[in-house]
Amino acid sequence: MTDGGSETRAPGRGIAAWAIASAVLMSVAIIGAFFVAPEQADGDIQNILYLHVPLANMSLAAFLVACVAGLLYLRRRDERYDEVVAVSVGLGLLFVVLTIISGSIWARGSWGTWWRWQDPRLVTYLIIGLIYAAFFVLRNSSEDSSRARFSAVFAVVGFASVPLSFYAVRRAQDFLHPTPIDSKGIHIDRGILLWLAVAQVAVAVVFVTLLKLELLQRRTDRALAKLRRLLEDPV
Amino acid sequence: MLKDLRLELRTRDTAVAMTLFVVIAMVILQFGFGTRETDLTRFAGGLLWVPLAFAAVLGVGRSYVAEREQRVLDGLLVAPVPRFVMLLARAVAIVGYLLAVQVVAVPLLGIFFVRGPYWGDIGWLFLACLLADIAIGILGTLVASMAVFTRARELVLPVIFLPLLVPVVIAAAGATHAVVGPNDMAQYRGYCLFLAGIAVTFGLVAYATFDAVFDD
Repeated sequence: MTDGGSETRAPGRGIAAWAIASAVLMSVAIIGAFFVAPEQADGDIQNILYLHVPLANMSLAAFLVACVAGLLYLRRRDERYDEVVAVSVGLGLLFVVLTIISGSIWARGSWGTWWRWQDPRLVTYLIIGLIYAAFFVLRNSSEDSSRARFSAVFAVVGFASVPLSFYAVRRAQDFLHPTPIDSKGIHIDRGILLWLAVAQVAVAVVFVTLLKLELLQRRTDRALAKLRRLLEDPV
Repeated sequence: MLKDLRLELRTRDTAVAMTLFVVIAMVILQFGFGTRETDLTRFAGGLLWVPLAFAAVLGVGRSYVAEREQRVLDGLLVAPVPRFVMLLARAVAIVGYLLAVQVVAVPLLGIFFVRGPYWGDIGWLFLACLLADIAIGILGTLVASMAVFTRARELVLPVIFLPLLVPVVIAAAGATHAVVGPNDMAQYRGYCLFLAGIAVTFGLVAYATFDAVFDD
């Protein structure tokens, strides 16, 4: 943990710009998805893909960030990496829950049911959600001295199990989920692809904004606690 | 490595309790299905691997009891042995427990639930069991090394271990079903390769991180 560096500089620098960028990009993505993007065969329910797909991708990106931060923590033992692990897993889990909810709404609209065990991706996201929910059980049950180490190790193990879960579920079931991208190329209308990319960037910027905001809050809490200790015991 | 096996051979209580647990779980599952059919071949994978997954939680949880209760761990940590060897030793002990359970559970699956050709392919089933056990042993040792040193460890271990175990259960149940159901050996080979891949993946992750678990 460093006492100087980023904590002595204005810690909230840039957050406002990220928040404005998030709001603007999300507004553009929502307007584009509902009013500009080409209409799809299944009607309005398909518009949920502009939220569902970017959230799903971003949740995996968040877990990748947690895994990398976990490895960096194990190497350097810098508390800031532990904070990135915890916040990234929390945001990734939030995105997984939103992915499952939006996927479930999509399933209801397209297939007439809220949940299908034959849909491998939704099932896989459920498993991934359970894995990363367990992360917080482990973290909150750990002693202070081992919390960061255990969190970092679990972030790495959890991320290693993500592709295994994807493959296992896909192998075990018939493939029902739409496959717009396969070995033969991308089978998506260019207009849809454009607005999907805009939505993906918007969700990524929201993730970065939330990550920075949460890290700022944690660092502020830590600085306040340190200040309180100094005031109580100046020696 | 020999310490766990020697201790277990002396007491035998973990393996016996795990075996009894699996038999009880298989009987409960039979009634849980709400059927009196004698042929449950299509459920064979689940009937074997759901009890085994829960039994693995019990075995993995027991594997650190001596270290925690008798404070042996400090001595082991200062011993001039790479920590990854400690992990391997413990994983071998867990594989031993699980194989001992499967020596009873796999034939029992054939007697209780499967009608049709079974006994000729029992060797293939044990091979799939061995591959799954290696993955379970490595993952279980890594996860237990954290869980048993937390508050509420009895609750924490299954909650963090079982979701990570899902790919192993899917692949092992798939391999079991491929052998006892349609006897599809191409599918069986695919599942076995996947189980080996899982074991290698968790082995590499454990190799990279296990040192850090105890690093105080």
